[in-house]
Amino acid sequence: MYRAAVIGLGRMGSTFDDEITSGGAIFLPYCHAPSYVASPFTELVAGADLHAEQGAIFADRWGLDKEHIYSDYREMLTAERPDIVSICTTARYRAAIIENAIHAGVKAIWAEKPLTLSLAEADAIIELSARNGVAIAVNCSRRHSPFLTEARRMAQSGELGEILQITAYTECYISHNGSHAIDTMRYLVDGDVEWVFGEMASDEEAAGEEDLQGNGYLAFDNGVRGFIRAMPTGIAPWEFDLIGTEGRVRSLSNGAETQYYRWVPGGLRDEGLPARAPFPLPLSIQGTGLSVISDLVNAIETGSDPRCSAEDGRKALEIAIAMRESHRQGGLRVDLPVADRSLRILSVEIGGDAVPARVRRLQQEPVVA
Amino acid sequence: MSESTYRAAVIGLGRMGSTFDDEIKQGGQFFMPYCHAPTYAASPHTELVAGADPHAEQGAIFAERWGLEDRQIYADYREMLEAERPDFVSMCTTARLRAAIMIDAINAGVKAIWAEKPFTLSLAEADEVIELAASKGVAIAVNCSRRYNVFFTEARRMVEEGDLGELLQITAYTQCNLSSNGSHAIDTMCYLVGGDVEWVFGEMESDEKADADEDLMGNGYMAFDNGVRGFLRGTPTGAAPWEFDLIGTEGRVRSLAQGMETQYYRWVPGGPRGRNLPARAPFPLPTTVPAMGPAVIEDLVQCIDSGAPPRCSDEDGRKALEIAIAMRESHRQGGRRIDLPLPDRSLRLLSSEIAQDAVPARIRRLKGRWP
Repeated sequence: MYRAAVIGLGRMGSTFDDEITSGGAIFLPYCHAPSYVASPFTELVAGADLHAEQGAIFADRWGLDKEHIYSDYREMLTAERPDIVSICTTARYRAAIIENAIHAGVKAIWAEKPLTLSLAEADAIIELSARNGVAIAVNCSRRHSPFLTEARRMAQSGELGEILQITAYTECYISHNGSHAIDTMRYLVDGDVEWVFGEMASDEEAAGEEDLQGNGYLAFDNGVRGFIRAMPTGIAPWEFDLIGTEGRVRSLSNGAETQYYRWVPGGLRDEGLPARAPFPLPLSIQGTGLSVISDLVNAIETGSDPRCSAEDGRKALEIAIAMRESHRQGGLRVDLPVADRSLRILSVEIGGDAVPARVRRLQQEPVVA
Repeated sequence: MSESTYRAAVIGLGRMGSTFDDEIKQGGQFFMPYCHAPTYAASPHTELVAGADPHAEQGAIFAERWGLEDRQIYADYREMLEAERPDFVSMCTTARLRAAIMIDAINAGVKAIWAEKPFTLSLAEADEVIELAASKGVAIAVNCSRRYNVFFTEARRMVEEGDLGELLQITAYTQCNLSSNGSHAIDTMCYLVGGDVEWVFGEMESDEKADADEDLMGNGYMAFDNGVRGFLRGTPTGAAPWEFDLIGTEGRVRSLAQGMETQYYRWVPGGPRGRNLPARAPFPLPTTVPAMGPAVIEDLVQCIDSGAPPRCSDEDGRKALEIAIAMRESHRQGGRRIDLPLPDRSLRLLSSEIAQDAVPARIRRLKGRWP
């Protein structure tokens, strides 16, 4: 059993699962505390949060004694010596806390997204974690969706033929939930982005560092092309469309439906018709958070990379930043990697982070729609 | 509407001029009659009076098929224009000669032209034809036929009546060369969106192809003046053949599998956190489904009477060409956003249909040499 602790005892650290009323995009347990409680590999031993109220709710909810709740996470790291630590604070402090956790000797980190605000922060963390042999999983949880993992398996086994296109309709701020959207595109395509073109919501927003909406065209090194619409998507909420020469998988309505198409004989001039077939489900589906923990335990024990690694987290951020650079440069194609490592996006979730997101939400003042 | 029957002639007696409809076995993308001669034969407004083609074999087939006398078939279209004085003339030759033939037809006094796509090869040719047609009051309809297809006209009606809410996005998966069938793809995007493209970004299939004037495949991102954004994939589309996806705040219409299926989505209550779900509803068909060729004729007859532009006008044909050329310019300039209109009017795209045009397309197709 690995000793697990959570830093940041708000929504994702503790109570997010309570908001979810239907499966598809995620299966429960999903967020950090309930996953550590349910996993056969972990024991939830401690939590840390600056806000006493959050700590009290956490202790009560997950059956921890008050002595295991800390207001200073550094104190918690020293006193509890966790093997696995979750970083569920505002993204503003993510990089600093990850560094401190690595120095404190944790074996693995399960970090919320976005990984960091700046590329330089991401570089430093990745270098430090590699040197210390610490596995970092970024919680771009669609990599643990049974539908999307199956779609990727179909792509890798050739069932979709040669992959040509990935399209995402994902209204979001490109650092905040854009982390999910961009990472999912990379995961499904199984390639790296060589260059991008981007258009942001406005010139003013593109010139600033605040998180923002935008669209992008992505050129992958395996020849696939991607289009992401993160500007408002209206009646097409959170959709991924993976198109190959032989087959196609569409994930619709925020993961609530997944469609599979392949060719059948017929068509206008007997050129064949794409027809919908049942989407092949895997034999078992586990809670999304349990899958992350299994993956991290495997990383600890074998040295493998987590399915969504710190490197993946950095790439999602770098693609978002490059899309913004494209707009800043008047609509120019921008090659990756981005040379200026000081570039950053202030993920929208850090707005108003003096008050915990859970409390803001209860006050019906969500930062993000 | 005029009571008279218009005299119609076809220039270029090959596939689109004469026998294309024979290749089509299923409705959806097309409703018959579709191509030029069968449409003139079927329309109550027109009488097919002549044809012109430099290839004698094409003329002979045309005469037999459409019941014309040999004397009504001409090798030289100029001779035909002079002798037959048609009101309507169809331009179904290779695109190489389209601009020159249109100019001759306008000068010969025709009332209306039904032109195959692409409209012209260069922007300068398009400018010249449009200016001449305007000065002579000649209506030109470009045969970007999806504007006359019931599913697309119904989608457009839904947009205009607000059924789809505010339009946000048009996506096209349309494997094509950007001038040849790209004319269709780009024009359909513009038609559905109901706006003009202000700027584009484009990536072509290769640097070499982008540098040349030959027709080519490519992808593009389009910024419309009404705020809609477009994504066009003209490079290979695999299991997503010819698809248009029109997305608004309140509704969505998807045309799939080369028009053989059309889907309509709107919101219903439910969804994670009660944010509602897009659900598929029956696509609303109108009470009558127009045959596509006769709908073009109907449109042109009204243009002759009223002076209004056709639903797919010469201006629309020029815009589709200009967008395709701008996408290529974007690639040529290293991947840069390109504003429209383009200042260099000498730019051109040699539509892939003009390759090997010494041999009629129908014959190339029969010989299995059609790509």
